[in-house]
Amino acid sequence: MTATIIPDLPVFVVIAPLFVAFVLPTFARRMRLVEALVILVGILGFLGALYLASLVFAQKGSPLIYSLGGWQAPWGIELKAGNLGALFLLVVTGVSLPVSLFAKGNLAQEVGGKERSARFYVLYLLLGGALAGMAVTNDLFNVFVLVEVVTLSCCGLVSARNHPRAAEAAFKYLIMATLGSTLVMGGIGFIYMITGHLNMEFAARELASIWQHSPHVVWMALSFILVGFGVKAAVFPLHVWLPDAHSTAPSPASAILSGLAVKGYLICLLKFLYNVFGSALMQEFAVDRILVLAGAVAIIAGSILALSQDELKRRLAYSTVAQVGYIVLGLGLLNKQGLAGTLFYLASHAVIKSTLFLAAGAIIAATGKKKVSELSGIGRKMPLTMAAFTIGSFGLIGLPLFSGFVGKWYLLLGSIETGKLLPTVVVIAGSILCATYLLPVIRRAYFEPAPDTTNADWQDPQDPGFSQKLALILLAAIVVLLGVVPGPLLELAKRAAVELLLLQ
Amino acid sequence: MKELFGKLIMNYPYFAAAILFMIGALTVLTRSDLLKKLIGINIMESAIFLIFVAGGNIRGGVAPLLSKANSGAVYVNPLPSALMLTGIVVSVSVTAFALALIVRLHRAYGTIDLQRIAELRSEVAMDDSNHHT
Repeated sequence: MTATIIPDLPVFVVIAPLFVAFVLPTFARRMRLVEALVILVGILGFLGALYLASLVFAQKGSPLIYSLGGWQAPWGIELKAGNLGALFLLVVTGVSLPVSLFAKGNLAQEVGGKERSARFYVLYLLLGGALAGMAVTNDLFNVFVLVEVVTLSCCGLVSARNHPRAAEAAFKYLIMATLGSTLVMGGIGFIYMITGHLNMEFAARELASIWQHSPHVVWMALSFILVGFGVKAAVFPLHVWLPDAHSTAPSPASAILSGLAVKGYLICLLKFLYNVFGSALMQEFAVDRILVLAGAVAIIAGSILALSQDELKRRLAYSTVAQVGYIVLGLGLLNKQGLAGTLFYLASHAVIKSTLFLAAGAIIAATGKKKVSELSGIGRKMPLTMAAFTIGSFGLIGLPLFSGFVGKWYLLLGSIETGKLLPTVVVIAGSILCATYLLPVIRRAYFEPAPDTTNADWQDPQDPGFSQKLALILLAAIVVLLGVVPGPLLELAKRAAVELLLLQ
Repeated sequence: MKELFGKLIMNYPYFAAAILFMIGALTVLTRSDLLKKLIGINIMESAIFLIFVAGGNIRGGVAPLLSKANSGAVYVNPLPSALMLTGIVVSVSVTAFALALIVRLHRAYGTIDLQRIAELRSEVAMDDSNHHT
């Protein structure tokens, strides 16, 4: 039995959520069944990813390859689950499961009706499947298709709330994201024109030998890909769509958008840069320096913008802009420590940002207050939610024993190894800035008196229901767990880094 | 010099694509009318489609249908055209979704001009805050 499943695992984790997504509308009236199915797929996906990661881990890096339709590469489309794929699959399935538990709680209230929340789940599963696809795909055009599936389902999730502002944010997001994916498609076109391959490995092999004949086309391809994914992953000056989209979406959607969708694009960018162009070509075309600079600017600018927001979800959204900066900076370090740190940071930020958005969502749902300045004393009213928020904040700041610390530590080691001052200083300064925009929320929540409860405007808020509590506990536990025992995931990240940098 | 011009003229599809791309990008970024933005996106996508299809074309090549009549002929690469079918499908679904959003916005605000919507929204927000205080 297991022997027949193993070769199909990479495609199973992609197909299962997609299949259920298209079946789901037939049960739209039975909400309990829909929720049960979504959680079941989440659990199955997570177990599949765990099993796959353990296989990849045991095999010391030889990836699981699945050829769609039985057509071998370079003709067919290939799915490849190596170290990187296994790592990202774990992140996607590990985060989306608690988020779907959370969504079970008060989604209907947030999006306005049961009918709408069934549609929400359809998009949610489509997004999950496409993100899993991004983790394992090894084909250039396949990346484009997955990018579009992620984009459209994200836009759908943003517009899920029945409010004109949601439609406006979704439209802006759709236009910017389509601009980005058009650029990505152009970049893929240029790569195909000079290499004649769509399979990443074959294209990389071809590119390494012929790029000198047409450096201008390589320039075009690189700039299209960089700007394209830059728009989609909200790298600083191209981030304008993100705060609106991520703060107006329903909270489970915000968590997934900030935690996973942005990471999916970054993983695709990473695959293009390292698997197709390769680190030698990145140095040749100064891409590494561009990435470090863009990342550093994003960290500082994103943090300062976050600091000036009073609306809690907007503050978290701008914080995502800053944290994306860390990952982009790490992509440009081009050494083992730095890249392993980036991958670990990517995983830990996915968990942390989901925790923060879900906790913020629970607070907003219970109090109706959206602004940081209105949250005085909330820590005593909603102890569990605020505890999760605090753990997430500590993780994001990068205090020791929380997951963010491990990633930042390795990023710092990588920055020092490059011998450049800029990344080293910015990585440290970013943490301090992060503390300046998150700690005031915690201080206000715990150390300021709650407003008078006799005031009619302030109904007595409480921690959310069981499934939402469970989701928050699970995510916060992962944040601490990854900080205390980073071992296996860090090892996976290190192996992926070695593989990507082509060290032995 | 003459040779260079010859080469440039030979590659006219790429010029057309570059011009289309710039028209599209300019429309998306500078117009505040939602429909015009959407049209701009579509023009940009067409430019990329053109690049792909032109890249697969071979001058004097024939459609890649294997038969005795064209056994010695040069075949055009069909893959980019096939990929662009997928691209067109994606583009159509993006357009459909964007149009649906435009309809929703028009119902809510009575206009499809982004600037006008922003003005209306800030007025509503002002009313809200006045109402609360």
